[in-house]
Amino acid sequence: MGKEECRALLEALNKVAACYRHLVVTIGGTSDSQNLREELKKTRKKAQDLAVANRNKLTVFLKDKTISKDDRVEYERLWVIFTTCMEILEVDMRKALEMGQEFQLNAPKRNLIQTGMSGGTTGVAARAMSAQNMKYEADSNIDVVDLKDLENEINQVGEMMMEMEMKVNVPNWTVEAKQDPGAELQSTISVGASSVGMISLNEQNKSVCDITRLLAGIIFTAVLIIAVVLAVLVIQLS
Amino acid sequence: MERVILAMQDPNVGIKMRNQRLLITVIPHAMTGNDIVEWLIQRFSITEEEALHLGNLIVKYGYIYPLKDAKTLVLKADESPYRFQVMKSPTISNLITAIYLAKKNIRKQGDLIDYERDAYNLLHKRINHTWDFVVMQAREQLRASKQRRKADRIVLDCQEQAYWLVNRPPPGAFDVLERGPERGNCLNSRVQMRGPSVAYIFNNETFAFSGSFFKHCEQYQVHDPIMSGCLPSNPWITDDTMYWTMNADLVATPTKMRVERWAFSFMELIRDPLGHNEFVHFLEKEFSAENLSFWEACEDVRYGEYSKIPEKLENIYQQFLVPGASKWVNIDSKTMDRTLQGIKAPHRYVMDDAQMHIYFLMKKDSYPRYLKSDLYKNMLAKAIVPQETKKSVFPFMRRQRHSSPSPALTAHSGEDDGKSKSAGSPGGAVAATITQVEE
Repeated sequence: MGKEECRALLEALNKVAACYRHLVVTIGGTSDSQNLREELKKTRKKAQDLAVANRNKLTVFLKDKTISKDDRVEYERLWVIFTTCMEILEVDMRKALEMGQEFQLNAPKRNLIQTGMSGGTTGVAARAMSAQNMKYEADSNIDVVDLKDLENEINQVGEMMMEMEMKVNVPNWTVEAKQDPGAELQSTISVGASSVGMISLNEQNKSVCDITRLLAGIIFTAVLIIAVVLAVLVIQLS
Repeated sequence: MERVILAMQDPNVGIKMRNQRLLITVIPHAMTGNDIVEWLIQRFSITEEEALHLGNLIVKYGYIYPLKDAKTLVLKADESPYRFQVMKSPTISNLITAIYLAKKNIRKQGDLIDYERDAYNLLHKRINHTWDFVVMQAREQLRASKQRRKADRIVLDCQEQAYWLVNRPPPGAFDVLERGPERGNCLNSRVQMRGPSVAYIFNNETFAFSGSFFKHCEQYQVHDPIMSGCLPSNPWITDDTMYWTMNADLVATPTKMRVERWAFSFMELIRDPLGHNEFVHFLEKEFSAENLSFWEACEDVRYGEYSKIPEKLENIYQQFLVPGASKWVNIDSKTMDRTLQGIKAPHRYVMDDAQMHIYFLMKKDSYPRYLKSDLYKNMLAKAIVPQETKKSVFPFMRRQRHSSPSPALTAHSGEDDGKSKSAGSPGGAVAATITQVEE
């Protein structure tokens, strides 16, 4: 069904946007590093791919004149959500550019603000990429090299949004939200990767993680059995 | 201020960092209020009172935030801990505020402070069309932050809270970023250029400004008569006033450049008299011409004579705001109530909210439709590109692209043909006047 696919794609984009925002917040603090810059780049690329996919799918449905009125209302709602997500992404990308230019990691006088954060951001990036492990393969001055790409991409996003605004005519005031104030309190927050966004994206192989889990399980049961056996022996001897 | 902050963090001469202990987790990079005050005294050789005041200012502007009693931004010269904040430019829009409040709502299980609750409800009404996104994004951001260590999560929460305290202080608190009675509330905030007068570490205001300035220059480069020469010819050089007559205020067939400029921005369209009239024609077809008249009347109040304000406001009220008026404008009820209240105590800025509402309505709705309409397209087709005035070619003169050489181009051509250029330009002017006389 078209609507489910669109919703799934939109949720995936939303997830990546949230992770990107989180990564941008970390720039300039003490947990900044080359890895972080690489994570930013990868997350950004993923966000852009998802954005293009979303836009293509939604414009196909919005241009279709034969869909019912209810469907149309739903697609317009999704379109408004999509445009707001892109606005947030653009703002975050600009922030990333500014901060990246201020805090260059290879400069002789490293002036990272001592924010008190000491952990890494690999978990967030892995969540964004829907991967189990992050591989870092870029060279050591990616923070400077990436800034040019970032600038170009910001311009691209800006142009895309202008184009979208001009071509698709969805007035904001006709769209009504489905959720009331306080709706976010209803559903519980679940930890862990959401499987919804994986429909049209490649999955990384999870076999490595499964094996370690299996191994841990086996060792645990073995220790348990040994403990039970020892207890029985002790009871028998006494 | 930023140099002071940087110096504070310098591992050699800066403040000694301690660790903050919270039950099990240990978070580095904390410092006590006492440390800060003593460091300031020692570094700048000032009295304790002055150091306390300076430290207070640093905290109020948000460079440092307190870890205990985090709701008040005050520096206390005792053992209470503080930490540094990464300063970001406050491009805060309604959307971002809404997401923050939704997150807080989830985290506190619905137990928001009263002014936050009011702001939350207000935002729900204002950006209702994208409220689903707010909820989705708030949930996802919380899920993303769960991927980090507990210590980092605590730091991030404190940071966020401190950031919002500085940039959106609770009502009644001292607002460091206070602005005058101007339009501070822009609903459309793609590139917002707000920023306090204190220079930030990152000069982000100049970045945002230079980005939009660059775009403006690129867009207007072809239209600028100095940068790209003007057709038919620059009247100051060739004494030919065709340029002025063709671009007069209300000419029947405008030039193509002028009509293209109307597509650049809404202000461009309404400031040009011909464009303004065209737009009024269009609005009359759409039965929304009263919007533009209302906006102009409000501008008149804003910039006009002080003594005439009450009578102008009365006119506006009778013409546009009374229900059943001849030119009734469509404003939402909240703004209408506020405006009607304001009219009872008239001053220059009373109609600001309503004016802004109508302005954005026109800009977002009527303006794009005008640009796609037949009226505009016909105008574009009708518009003419003026011919360059011809010049006779002397054997020693370099042929120019336009008969009015732009100084930017002549400056670029370099020193090797400087001599021929300087001989050429007065010669060119002479030649043009000769052709003029001959015609």
